[in-house]
Amino acid sequence: MTDAATADRWIRWLNTMQLVLAGVLIMAPTVWMVLSSFKPSFEVTAYPPTLIFTPTLDNYVELTRTTPFLSYALNSLIVTAGSTALGLLFGIPAAFAVSWTRISWPAILTLAARMAPGTLFLLPWYVMFRQVGMIGSYTALILSHAVITLPIVIWVLLPSFDGIPRSVFEAAQVDGCSVTRILWRIALPLVASGVAVSAILAFVFSWNYFLFALVLSNGDTKTLIAAAFNFIGEGSTQWGALMAAATLIALPPLVLAALVQRWLVSGLTLGAVKG
Amino acid sequence: MASISIRNLVKRYGSFTVIPDLNLEIADHEFVVFVGPSGCGKSTLLRIIAGLEPISSGDLYIGDKRVNGVQAAQRDIAMVFQDYALYPHMRVYDNMSFALELRGTPKAEIDARVKRAAALLHIEPYLDRKPKELSGGQRQRVAMGRAIVRNPKAFLFDEPLSNLDAKLRGQVRAEIKALSQELKTTMVFVTHDQIEAMTMADRIVVLQSGTIQQYDTPETVYERPANQFVAGFIGSPAMNFFPVEWRDGRANLSQGATAVPLDDAAAGRLRQAGNAVLGIRPEHFAVATDGADGIAIDVRLVEPLGSDTLIHFDLAGVSAIARVDPSLRPKVGDRLGLIPQPGKTHLFDAANGQVLR
Repeated sequence: MTDAATADRWIRWLNTMQLVLAGVLIMAPTVWMVLSSFKPSFEVTAYPPTLIFTPTLDNYVELTRTTPFLSYALNSLIVTAGSTALGLLFGIPAAFAVSWTRISWPAILTLAARMAPGTLFLLPWYVMFRQVGMIGSYTALILSHAVITLPIVIWVLLPSFDGIPRSVFEAAQVDGCSVTRILWRIALPLVASGVAVSAILAFVFSWNYFLFALVLSNGDTKTLIAAAFNFIGEGSTQWGALMAAATLIALPPLVLAALVQRWLVSGLTLGAVKG
Repeated sequence: MASISIRNLVKRYGSFTVIPDLNLEIADHEFVVFVGPSGCGKSTLLRIIAGLEPISSGDLYIGDKRVNGVQAAQRDIAMVFQDYALYPHMRVYDNMSFALELRGTPKAEIDARVKRAAALLHIEPYLDRKPKELSGGQRQRVAMGRAIVRNPKAFLFDEPLSNLDAKLRGQVRAEIKALSQELKTTMVFVTHDQIEAMTMADRIVVLQSGTIQQYDTPETVYERPANQFVAGFIGSPAMNFFPVEWRDGRANLSQGATAVPLDDAAAGRLRQAGNAVLGIRPEHFAVATDGADGIAIDVRLVEPLGSDTLIHFDLAGVSAIARVDPSLRPKVGDRLGLIPQPGKTHLFDAANGQVLR
């Protein structure tokens, strides 16, 4: 066997090992979570861990019996859908404006806001929302989550808009389009897949965001992820129910990501290379 | 239909001046071609007329209306772009009807106008297709169709043939010319290809560094170039230039002692100027029947084109070309006598390049 063939075999083997390692690191906690959610409560924390067990839905029954799980889910849906819609409503025109004018500082500003720790916004918001009596309202949660969704929408769509040849916009101008109409009639249909990707990413990030909901919500508007935190008690933690809740919370983003995984990759690189 | 009037136009990008001070009158129904090398400001000028670039100072009139601050959308100008700029998500029909729809034209009229333009451009079979399903030539026609249906005040073309292959370019060039004669609309066409300029234009604007070098009919620009730049830019192969001077009662090449046989008028102008740059187009050399006559040259390279033959030679330190009859069959190394055809030579001021008349 030649040296080149041996080197190739080694590279293939190392690649496989790398994938396996990454897969184990990423998937192990998820598999653990899902398996634990089907274990009898006493077996969740058993040591050594049991791998053979009789699956049960007790944890899920317990979860729905002891908590208003569906109403938390509805809260999550309202906040996530609202903040995603808000992100799209302002993010689409903002990304288009940045692309059109080639003035990039507003986009960089939103990115900086996204990079900043959530606590930076949390305290001022808490004070402001309390002063106007909005603590615990959906509006406060949706507005706060827009800090997460808006930069995602802008930064996913910006390369998509940049990827459209400038002359197409100019042709539309000469044809009689205003800038607003160019956005809706020409640009937006051309970046439809980018919009879908940005909406899904915004939805997932907002759905998973914990901090704002923990502080700014109340009993009626608590989101799933904030509610799940309540299962961790000082004395006793309902590990089984917590695993069931975590599994259910993780389900929508996972399903969404799986449905559009091909789009996600192409959407994130949209506009990087002109066709 | 409208005339276009540009008065004292200045265009700057920051501190960089692209067009220093330009005046131009384009008559109604006229087909004017802007030609010049890359960076001469021809596309900028076209985009200014379209309303896609603001004017730094000066005035632009379309018809009787001053349009300096008028948006592109309100100028009623149609433009065909270099890359066609079709709307990728729309069918050909929708690409063509879009502008009419924006103007609230009744559906029946839109349909009639789109179909009439499609028939004129032979694109009826493609009306339901998306642009990506069309060839370059077909896209080019759709782009023209999109302009035609609007019946605009003027058509602007920004190097629309540069993405087509040579054969298709010739075909579409002829079609645009025929179209201009049929539509009788003001047309402004930008190209860096002087053959396109010569074959299509009623008048040519030769631009260099944002300044009009000459604005005249193709025949005049070719036969009576205003300066050395125009003379060198228009014509293919380009005009040959030789520094000459009046010495010992006759015209001589400045380098060496070679006499140049000039007609009386040209000789008179050179005598008056003392020295100048002599311009002779490759096609304006005659081959002397007797090798002793004319300017003796050694053939360095032969390019047979079929219809005629190009002879490359060096003369007085200048690399030059003569276009001769193919029956002559010259060979590399042959010595020939070349005589500038009387009345076909051009003399330019050695200092500023302006033609000596």
